[in-house]
Amino acid sequence: MSGDASVLRASGSGEQAGRGVWAGLALWLLAAMLLSGVAFFLSSYYNDVYRKLLLWVALALSYNFLFGISGQIAFSHFAFYGIGAYSVVILLFQANLPLPLAIVLGVLLCVVLALVVAIPSTRLEGFYLGLATLAFAQLFLVVLNEGGSVTGGAGGLANYRLPPVFGMHLTGPWYTVVIVVVTLATFAILLRLDRSWFGRACRAIQDNEVAAAAMGVNVARTKIIVFTVTSALAGIAGMVYAFVDNTVNPPIFGLENAFLILFMVIVGGSGRHAGAIIGAVLLYLLPFVLSPLIGHHHALVFGVVMLGVILFQPKGLIGIYDSLRGRRRAAAGKAPG
Amino acid sequence: MTQAGFAFARLLACAAAAVAFAAPAAAQETIKIGVITDRVGVAKPYAEPVTDGLVFAAKEINAKGGVLGRKIELLIEDDQGKPDVSATLARKLVDAGVVFIQSLSLTTATQQAQTVSLETKTPHMTPSNSGDTLTTQIQNPYFWQTGPLGSIQIATLMSYARARNYKKVAVITDNSDLGQLIAKFFRGGLEKAGIEVVTEEVVPRGATSAEPQMQKIRAAKPEALFMAGVMTPENVLVLKAYRQLGLKTPIFASYNLSVPQYMTAGKGFLNGLAFVDAYDPDKPEIRKFTAAYKKDTGKEAYNLHGYGYDGMYLMADAIRRAGSTDKEKIREAMQATRNFPAIMGAKGMTYTFPEGKRSGFDPQGMVVRIYEKDKQGKAVHVGAK
Amino acid sequence: MQDFLELIVGASATGCIYGLVALSFLLMTRPTGVINFAVGEWAMVGAFAGFLFLSEWEWPYPLGVAAIVLVLLATGWATERIAVRPLVERGAPELAPILALLGMLVIFRESISLWFGPDPHPVPYPFEFARVEIGPLFGASLAGSNQSFVIIASTLVIFFLAWWFFERTLWGKCFEAVAINRRGAALMGINLSRVTSLSFAAGAVVAGLGGLLVAPNISAHYLMGIPLAIQGFTALVVGGPGRVEGALLGGLLLAFAEQLTVRYAPVPPGYAFGVPLILLIVFLLVRPTGLLKAREARV
Repeated sequence: MSGDASVLRASGSGEQAGRGVWAGLALWLLAAMLLSGVAFFLSSYYNDVYRKLLLWVALALSYNFLFGISGQIAFSHFAFYGIGAYSVVILLFQANLPLPLAIVLGVLLCVVLALVVAIPSTRLEGFYLGLATLAFAQLFLVVLNEGGSVTGGAGGLANYRLPPVFGMHLTGPWYTVVIVVVTLATFAILLRLDRSWFGRACRAIQDNEVAAAAMGVNVARTKIIVFTVTSALAGIAGMVYAFVDNTVNPPIFGLENAFLILFMVIVGGSGRHAGAIIGAVLLYLLPFVLSPLIGHHHALVFGVVMLGVILFQPKGLIGIYDSLRGRRRAAAGKAPG
Repeated sequence: MTQAGFAFARLLACAAAAVAFAAPAAAQETIKIGVITDRVGVAKPYAEPVTDGLVFAAKEINAKGGVLGRKIELLIEDDQGKPDVSATLARKLVDAGVVFIQSLSLTTATQQAQTVSLETKTPHMTPSNSGDTLTTQIQNPYFWQTGPLGSIQIATLMSYARARNYKKVAVITDNSDLGQLIAKFFRGGLEKAGIEVVTEEVVPRGATSAEPQMQKIRAAKPEALFMAGVMTPENVLVLKAYRQLGLKTPIFASYNLSVPQYMTAGKGFLNGLAFVDAYDPDKPEIRKFTAAYKKDTGKEAYNLHGYGYDGMYLMADAIRRAGSTDKEKIREAMQATRNFPAIMGAKGMTYTFPEGKRSGFDPQGMVVRIYEKDKQGKAVHVGAK
Repeated sequence: MQDFLELIVGASATGCIYGLVALSFLLMTRPTGVINFAVGEWAMVGAFAGFLFLSEWEWPYPLGVAAIVLVLLATGWATERIAVRPLVERGAPELAPILALLGMLVIFRESISLWFGPDPHPVPYPFEFARVEIGPLFGASLAGSNQSFVIIASTLVIFFLAWWFFERTLWGKCFEAVAINRRGAALMGINLSRVTSLSFAAGAVVAGLGGLLVAPNISAHYLMGIPLAIQGFTALVVGGPGRVEGALLGGLLLAFAEQLTVRYAPVPPGYAFGVPLILLIVFLLVRPTGLLKAREARV
């Protein structure tokens, strides 16, 4: 994505850096305008598909950072998506808080819960961490189902709409603009983190924890921060989602999607932002294309593709792209295999 | 082979039906109706027969000249039982120019699709969902429900059991959204009549046994047990635990137990179970319908098909009375529906949308039937008086 | 009292199923370190095979079971060959086979759903459904459905075989050796790939039989896999992956905790389902090696 190159340029020194930063900002702004502008030309249906696609991209990017760059297997990502969505709705319409406060508190809730999960889990390895986060995600669903009138129980919450922001009612393509901004912001934050010493520390930990510790990285703290930040980003995406269909219910945040996001990241190319984007776009749009052809069992196709990728091209689709371009990226994107 | 074969044949039949409607005439000539169903997910066993019934009805209508001189074109979408996909598909259908949407999938999916019908002011109905809150939670004047509500079900069951003068009963359900909703209305209806619900138990999806729940019920000594769950494996677990614990308490079940699936999955455990249904096999209209259906498709129709059939005819009638495909006129005509003859429900039942309400199933229209050995018996009781 | 005794039987039966799934995990994890989350789907395969052979085609029960065992052996062997062997031989990171197996999980489930449809399918009981009473005991009797007793008996047999395999046979010692030190075992001439194949095949049989035993109660349906896998894995963590007996112990503890909570705890019924999840989390954090420690390497 054009953002990459501009940030690289921006890491130069002095005057160059100054100009680089402006150039980078301009590129992000251009991207935002282009992506938002598209929304105004799309019919209601395609707008809906586009919005949900953008949200999946945001989720894939944050999940990629957690799983592909930091090497933590987690199935809790969608739970945090749900925590963000439910908390903003509950705080807005049951606690009757103003929107900015509801958002801030919602994010805080995600952060706190992420810490609750992350701190004890630092010494869990590999799939055991996955299992713990899986249990957490299932517990979240149990709480949702038993939440009575607070969470709407198994039926969820509906019948609300986004309160006016600065006096404007954001609907239709204007709301899509909000989603574009959130997605790009997520991307920008993750990119920044990746390019910093923090990102390098994460990759070092994924490579070899002991060596990383020996080099002075505080392994536990880094892991906790990664988990918290990525989960909070998922929560923010969730808050945005809550007003897409103006409904939240437990099935939306179930286990199926947790698997899907993992598949997306792996198929696209785990450890690479571009990979996450490609994986999300591909796997989200594929069912729409496949439905008329093979009926509706696209999940089978996903399973096969996922298996194929792991067996034959562990670097994912982005790996294929790379080898076609003959490019080699040093020290970026460690894929499983 | 049989199972896959039939499924594939059904799919082909549906596809063929859909293609048959895909405007051999010019597009402006047909009236486009959107249908959201579940072909692959958890609602499929229920959604598929309803869809088949609806498609058959459309075929019948078209054979008689269609509506307002135009043929009906069905645009059928599969939401895989996922509520947010359902909403997206509703948008797709509206964009494609449908004047009416039929939601045949899960209750939560229909709920989520309502956001779209409300926003786009598109007439929208469900002929089969039974969750009471569908017409009450969102104030959507464009949405109607003609499925047998949970509140009607409990009223009918209670009326049937009135002579026994129960004072203490138990309720058991599952943790699905519809199961919880129906249990809520069962409980409400019972308590309003002064009957104490001594315990309410839940069997979760994926459970391997319902014994602890049934033990708890046994310990509470209810005079009757009301089953409000809607998931087949879990309901069968309840019946097995019931038998195994040697329980003799009379069981009264929601209309979910009327689905023919139970006769294979629950074989041997059904004898004597009373359930509420919207289907009277002796009703002349039903006899006519099943005969016509068999003649046309070669397959047996059962209660679920009837919902789709009625839903299509109701909708066609509203469009006819509206005199045009203008959505507002259709809305007014639909809301004005009074005493539309139904093939479902008790003999002589009709659909009516009372002033200001959008659920049309006659509160006196359900029947109670009893399983005799493993077959569904006749209607032994009608209505909720 | 009667309730409690009946619960003992019922919970034991459920615990045995969990234990079988846990054993399946264990059989594969110990020698290879690979966590195969697809064991739930293997149980599903066993259940659907039961439907095909016993309900649809109505083979006599023992013959059907033999056929099902063969199907499961093939399934396990094929899974290993496709998803694990190529990765291990290539020296892929540990995570890779686990992820590949997640892909297999989805493939299994969707294939079954495509083939049979999403409706639940009946699987017959080996013996006509009946209530069995053993007593009197403390003024009441141990009672349960005969299927519960069949499950308990079968599980005990399977576990005995597993224990005997590990303790008394040469192959079992090979497994242990590989579990303790993979490279050392290879150097000693143990055929690693054969051990891996065998462990997956055996794991599939154990999980599949678990599915077959529980299916008459819950019917075979395509969603039954993941809840079983989660319960089985929890049982493994609780009991400890080091010893075969741990799998059964974990399963029983889990089932008892679940069912006793539902029956006796004054908690709204929905929350009782958090019990296995909470147990899993607690054990993962506090005692990841489980209750029974692994046997020390014996010289």
